[in-house]
Amino acid sequence: MSYVHTLRAGVLGLSVAGFATTQAEAGTYNLTVDRVTIDTGKFTRSGIGYNGASPGPVLRFKEGEDVTINVTNNLAESTSVHWHGLILHYQQDGVPGISYDGIKAGDTFTYKFPIIQSGTYWFHSHTEFQEPDGAYGAIVIKPKKREPFRFHREYVVQLTDAHPHAGSRIMRNLKMMPDYYNRQQRTIADFFKDAEKMGFDAAMRDRLDWGEMRMMPNDIEDLQGFTPLINGKSTAQNWTGMFKPGERVRLRFINSSAMTYFDIRIPGMKMTVVQADGNNVQPVTVDEFRIAVAETYDVLIRPKKEKAYSIFAESVGRTASVRATLAPTKGLTAETPKMRTPPLLTMADMGMAHGAHAGMDHGAMGQSGDKAGMHKMPDGKMMPGMKHGTGAMKSHKIPDGTVMSGAAHASMDHSAHGKMGMKAGDKFYAAGSGLMPSAANGGKFLSYSELRAMRPLYKDREATREIELRLTGNMERYIWSINGVKFSKAEPIRLKYGERVRFKFVNETMMTHPMHLHGMWSILDTGKGKWDPVKHVVSVSPGTTAYMETEVDAPGQWAFHCHLSYHADSGMFRKVIVEGGPKAKEASLQPGKGG
Amino acid sequence: MRSIYIGLMAFAVTILAASPLFAEQLIWGIQAEQLEYRIGNDTDVMAWDVDALVGTDELKLVFRSEGEFETNGDTLEAMENQLRLQAPISTFFDAVGGVRVDTPEGPDRVYGVVGVHGLAPQWFEIDADLFVSDRPSFRFEAEYEALITNRLILTPSIEFNLPFTDDLAIEQGAWGPKLEVGARLSYDLVDRAISPYIGIHYERVFGETEDIATSEGKDADALFLTIGTKLFF
Amino acid sequence: MNNNSLVRPFAALVLALGLVISATPVSADAKKHGHGGGHANMKKIGMAGDAAKVTRTIKVVMHDNYYEPENISVKEGETVRFLIRNAGEFVHEFNIATGPMHVTHQPEMMMMVEHGVLEPDKINWEAAKAMQKSMGHGMHNEPNSKLLEPGKSGEIIWTFPKHADLEFACNIPGHYDSGMVGKVKLTH
Repeated sequence: MSYVHTLRAGVLGLSVAGFATTQAEAGTYNLTVDRVTIDTGKFTRSGIGYNGASPGPVLRFKEGEDVTINVTNNLAESTSVHWHGLILHYQQDGVPGISYDGIKAGDTFTYKFPIIQSGTYWFHSHTEFQEPDGAYGAIVIKPKKREPFRFHREYVVQLTDAHPHAGSRIMRNLKMMPDYYNRQQRTIADFFKDAEKMGFDAAMRDRLDWGEMRMMPNDIEDLQGFTPLINGKSTAQNWTGMFKPGERVRLRFINSSAMTYFDIRIPGMKMTVVQADGNNVQPVTVDEFRIAVAETYDVLIRPKKEKAYSIFAESVGRTASVRATLAPTKGLTAETPKMRTPPLLTMADMGMAHGAHAGMDHGAMGQSGDKAGMHKMPDGKMMPGMKHGTGAMKSHKIPDGTVMSGAAHASMDHSAHGKMGMKAGDKFYAAGSGLMPSAANGGKFLSYSELRAMRPLYKDREATREIELRLTGNMERYIWSINGVKFSKAEPIRLKYGERVRFKFVNETMMTHPMHLHGMWSILDTGKGKWDPVKHVVSVSPGTTAYMETEVDAPGQWAFHCHLSYHADSGMFRKVIVEGGPKAKEASLQPGKGG
Repeated sequence: MRSIYIGLMAFAVTILAASPLFAEQLIWGIQAEQLEYRIGNDTDVMAWDVDALVGTDELKLVFRSEGEFETNGDTLEAMENQLRLQAPISTFFDAVGGVRVDTPEGPDRVYGVVGVHGLAPQWFEIDADLFVSDRPSFRFEAEYEALITNRLILTPSIEFNLPFTDDLAIEQGAWGPKLEVGARLSYDLVDRAISPYIGIHYERVFGETEDIATSEGKDADALFLTIGTKLFF
Repeated sequence: MNNNSLVRPFAALVLALGLVISATPVSADAKKHGHGGGHANMKKIGMAGDAAKVTRTIKVVMHDNYYEPENISVKEGETVRFLIRNAGEFVHEFNIATGPMHVTHQPEMMMMVEHGVLEPDKINWEAAKAMQKSMGHGMHNEPNSKLLEPGKSGEIIWTFPKHADLEFACNIPGHYDSGMVGKVKLTH
């Protein structure tokens, strides 16, 4: 009812203002939530999609537009649609139990909200395991103003990790047997290989150290066995985008995967990152970048030659990859690169609390992640393998390279010699981390540190308070939590309207967590002050501490969680309540008041 | 007998239902660690060791059934069924409480169960149970999975039963332990759901229990070749 | 990385970049510098023009990160005065050269950023001086380019050659790639 009212008020205001006001555009969109068949070429399964397909449609909005979206639930179960990254009234945010009750089977729910931003976003179900089961689509919002870059054509490149098992079964399997899906575990043969490389004693000690913790260095992806897709197509199905040589092409990368981070490159082509999470960033040209679950990156490319290029995305655990194609003529393809060797976690990534029995220095590990080179490594007793490092490494207390990938070697050297004018290690990874990325061609790999806001959304100011959120979990029970408490047992986080909260994420687990706060922007602290990038997902690597600040400007209640589906569902989730706030602010998020 | 089962079941369901965590997805599964045919010198045996589990992170109800069926004599040599409640006590271990009912040939036996279940350092899966009755006993089980490849897995296991009193009806002598060791080489055929295996199984009794066996003209030990499959649903 | 390996690319960088900081363009044939591969092309791209011969004035506004106008049309051999204004919030460059010349300049500009001389919204003169001191080279004025902080204006007088494939571009990292480049069309 109140929508009608405000809408009418808006129209009235318009007629009074005459030419001085541009009419708020209005658009109506219809979405159906359907049972669909997902065919990856490797397997076919029943899943959930929108308008009869998974991924669903690309919703194209305009900044300043009042959108009305009718969502009809054709499922036999309840559903919901969350508009990931959109700033809107909390009752339109689509999280059952927090924003509203969800959409019952057979019902139609009408979302109405003004579009007050632009960029690349996505939408997905926030009900149980519908999102990993295929319930996602893309959102592209055209800005009011001219964009700070030029392109001739654009494509959405939506990454997903289709799994042959239904989400509820995956969750159950993980709870029963956390390594159910890990087919990269170290074998007896691996042991002998290591023994040959590092000596029997060291190899044995390494096995004993990990065994003591009951953890695995190759536990990078909780969930393997998926088939990565680009716009719903596997490598064999080969999604193809056309271009004319010399054109600038905008690729809107969206990672809608349930669990999978990807490293993305286009061999033979540089990519200029111009947006992160829908917000413009100062352009940075790279050879490769890593996309966390639920992030978006917009890149510009300029293919000059009359030939095809591969868009290649390999999962960070290197268990699966997908290739799509950009071609000047139909049917052309380029070579599909081979996947690189899987990384191994190091003790640096274990900078955590699990090692109660392992004698590690938890406290130090938890806090030192943001200071490359200052990292306190576990003591020699814990990591005897370290003693085998080179002299230089030893003096920098970096774990033995023999348990690490070549890529990690390279980055280690950087951090160790950072003072000598070379680029210091990426502070968003633990020093000596096995997860430290490097570009396949030896070129530039995007770091969070290089993301600078194009135009800050907020005035840079001191945070009014800090909230520490330790990212915690029990891998063996597959319980994920924040500050050791899972969602079902946790009190909401209470914020006051108007404050600027500094969130301190201390990752005490061995997994990487893409933390997503609904309703308000996450200003990632990269140390760039007013240029700190404005995001909706902040990925926190194991053994590190990361900070983000949030201007608390959205009254109501919101979800705040790890965006890995099975982490969120098993407890790494909080409700945030924003108390106070002027009625006017709430009203401004009603239709007719936007833009 | 039945009333004990029903009582425990009702108790467990009440606790689970009353738990605020019931809102979370219910964890459940059926896992057969052993489901096999043992080929021995004198006799062949069908054996199983199956857990059916339902619950939450905080509390699980496990139905555990173990049994041996002698094919030659067509006799159920041993069958025990347990209803166990499991609740976490540490990162890697659960406390266990429940009831065990044995219904082999001959007299039935009922025990209370108190134990721990969990994952010890170096990936040993452990069960340590005290069976409480007027004929109490203790059991320790450990299992390890050695990966030949990520699908071909060698699982050595050991089970050690120690009765504290005589129970002649079931051929057990006070402090006379029974030891079972095995090694099974399995291949994950369908995910981890179906993993057929071959292996060896050896068991031996000692002390008083051995004396009882020999006095009845039975061997103190037996070695079997075993063929079976692990199941996990 | 030792000092020598740093100095060499930097010397080339300072000279080749054409980091213009003086308000008065130096009317000198770039060939006289005798540095850098790119400068051999200087004649091809035209030369600093004589104010007296200016036949036309073109106003160029630099935004974040694009030019207005997006393309420019001039006559062969014409001498043009470019009035350039940086209306953006970032430092921008207006540089007339061939595409390949721009491409070779970009890594050098990147180095300026990495050494803290070029910040997103200003030129760090302290860092520039520090570099000058340690490298033994000063900043050079180049007649074909103008580097402007936000809000600043400048001008270039340029005599175009008869035949050339020219672009005006901003070589600050990422700017060229995001489309801050336009064609200079030479007409009869």
